[in-house]
Amino acid sequence: MKNTPISSSSQDLSYSTFYVGKALCGIDILHIQEINKINEITKVPQSPDYINGIINLRGRIVTIIDLGKKLGLTPVQKNNDNRSIIVDSENEHVGLLVDAIGDVIQAGKKDLEAAPSNIRGVKGKYFKGVLKTEKQLIGILDIEEVLKE
Amino acid sequence: MNDINIPATDLAAPDSEESLKGSIRVSVGLLDTLMNLAGELVLSRNQLLQGVNKSNIKATGKSCQRIDLITSELQEAIMQTRMQPIDIILNKFRRIVRDRSQRLNKSIDLVIEGNDVELDRTIIESINEPLKHLVNMAVDHGIELPGKREHLGKKAAGTITLKAFHDAGQVNIILSDDGSGFDPARADGMDCVFSGIEQIGGNIEMNSTPDKGTDIQIKLPLTLAIIPSQITSVENERFAVPQVNLDELIRIPASDIKDRIEKVGDADVVRLRGELLPLLDLSKMLGIEKIYIDPETGSKFIDRRENISDRRSRLLLTDTDKASEKAEDQPVRHQRSAKDRRYSAKSALHIAVVSAGVYKYGLIVDQFHDSEEIVVKPVGRHLKKCRAYSGATIMGDGKASLILDISNLAQMAGLSTLSETRQLVKSIEKTSSLEKVAMITFKNSENEYFAALLDTVDRIERIQSSDIEQIGGKKVIQYRGGALPLFELSEVTDVNPVPQKNQQELIVFKVRGRKIGLKVSLPVDTLEIEPNIDVTTLKGTAVTGSIIINGHTTLLVDIYQMVRMLKPEWFR
Repeated sequence: MKNTPISSSSQDLSYSTFYVGKALCGIDILHIQEINKINEITKVPQSPDYINGIINLRGRIVTIIDLGKKLGLTPVQKNNDNRSIIVDSENEHVGLLVDAIGDVIQAGKKDLEAAPSNIRGVKGKYFKGVLKTEKQLIGILDIEEVLKE
Repeated sequence: MNDINIPATDLAAPDSEESLKGSIRVSVGLLDTLMNLAGELVLSRNQLLQGVNKSNIKATGKSCQRIDLITSELQEAIMQTRMQPIDIILNKFRRIVRDRSQRLNKSIDLVIEGNDVELDRTIIESINEPLKHLVNMAVDHGIELPGKREHLGKKAAGTITLKAFHDAGQVNIILSDDGSGFDPARADGMDCVFSGIEQIGGNIEMNSTPDKGTDIQIKLPLTLAIIPSQITSVENERFAVPQVNLDELIRIPASDIKDRIEKVGDADVVRLRGELLPLLDLSKMLGIEKIYIDPETGSKFIDRRENISDRRSRLLLTDTDKASEKAEDQPVRHQRSAKDRRYSAKSALHIAVVSAGVYKYGLIVDQFHDSEEIVVKPVGRHLKKCRAYSGATIMGDGKASLILDISNLAQMAGLSTLSETRQLVKSIEKTSSLEKVAMITFKNSENEYFAALLDTVDRIERIQSSDIEQIGGKKVIQYRGGALPLFELSEVTDVNPVPQKNQQELIVFKVRGRKIGLKVSLPVDTLEIEPNIDVTTLKGTAVTGSIIINGHTTLLVDIYQMVRMLKPEWFR
């Protein structure tokens, strides 16, 4: 993955970016435990519809959430680029299923601008802010807000 | 493993999670055993790797065996670190009983036995509250005041005994007192105790004799982390049913389904050794769509069968059922067709008979697999609201599977409890004791079908209409040397008159020793049927209800009521 520095601030943060539908989103890389390709997912009948199922992650049961559905977009389309981002939240691992993984980018804290009320159809409350790169706008997700039931 | 703070599975006691995050003491001897086993495990792994690298099947097999043994021993040793003597909680009761009895001016001796019995600490934590409630109730409502005790000829000081012991792989705790026995005041809050004990897979039994005392027996599993389970599956998804909930497994061949599955109201029930069990279809319960593959075209389609005993065509009717079929249809209907998938071996029903607390029911699944010891893993917070599962586990092939919560499933389905089922059974037995009833069927006018109980029928006669005499507004004929009063149904209830013909068929009923003739139309027939009478839809004057006979909605005439209306003087 190519790093794209967009700022020379001393307090640089790294964000892992990924696509949910057409929206480019990012998460503070420190929240991320690992990024996986999912093979065997066990469906959980009668669970909320944004839940894809559960997987065995080296002996732990991890819930996989379809980030597309959770954010109110179209469900993640099944293809080879799908990945699940395992994040740490409230002392447990949760998997976020995304359409594809993008680059890791670095940005200073002050580069983060307040999120508009809506980014490509996703409600503004799910974002901590937006990062503007030369090419794109990246919505930085507030993981705790996204993972609220 | 240098840190022995073992997080408790929050499956066991979600509420007491905080209190469980402390540390526990483990003996050095046990630690040494663990170290030893870890060393052995590393050695065996090395051997296994070597064997695999050299493709040496014999060596691989040997190391597999060793790893198998070590794993079991390791598991046992690690489980032991979680085991704590039960005295942690039992001894607390000394103080509780002393303080409480002093306040109530009672004199109570508390006897504690089996302090050294060990239990998984999560279980110890979860029985603390229920047990405390039971002890408090025994002190407050069980043991009487000293004066009353002496009056009853008992010792002034009451005794409460708390006894813990191992039995058949379970821990038993018996709380007994020599007080007044169980009364409604003591029943207060028992729901809480029951659910608390059941939540950790235990059960509770109570025996009480007025003025003699109460025995409460609690049975608890040794541990919660690893539970023996029956693996079942529905549409390729596996589900674990804890063995503690499992009574038996039954398979009903497709050809027997009709006989053994019945519908009572909206519920399906199965007949099992004379008892009726409510049935719960797991796939329907969980909303799993059943897919069938057409053997000829290979196309998949969704099974929309609503009833378990539903038969799309009536191919496999038993001989008695066929009695009512039209004869010319039978040769065609008897052949099994390949398309009739419900009668292939695959459509046998697999029922796991399960019980949990007040519920006992049959859980319908697609297949039974092995019985396995599974490791219970907690599920993430997003799935906490899915009450159908008590947790998840990881199967031998590495895939995650869900563990069913038998009690919650029953609640979610609104299943009747054991006592309600027994009531149901009683009401069914009442109707089924009527079993087959002999009926006479006849028509009134064209398209008006009627039936009556055969036992009131004396004879069936055919008379000449010209023989009917009108005397004082009443119709009679001469019959066996007397006058037989004649009526028709339109005189008592809202139906058409019997069409006028030269010849008239009569059914002669005998009521209270006297005879009455009812004008009817052909065909008149007798048959034996099960009285599945709908007493609500088509009830009327002298009509008990309706019943389907040979595909016709047939009204059942209450002959006694009819005669009572026509000849009230016969009943004086």
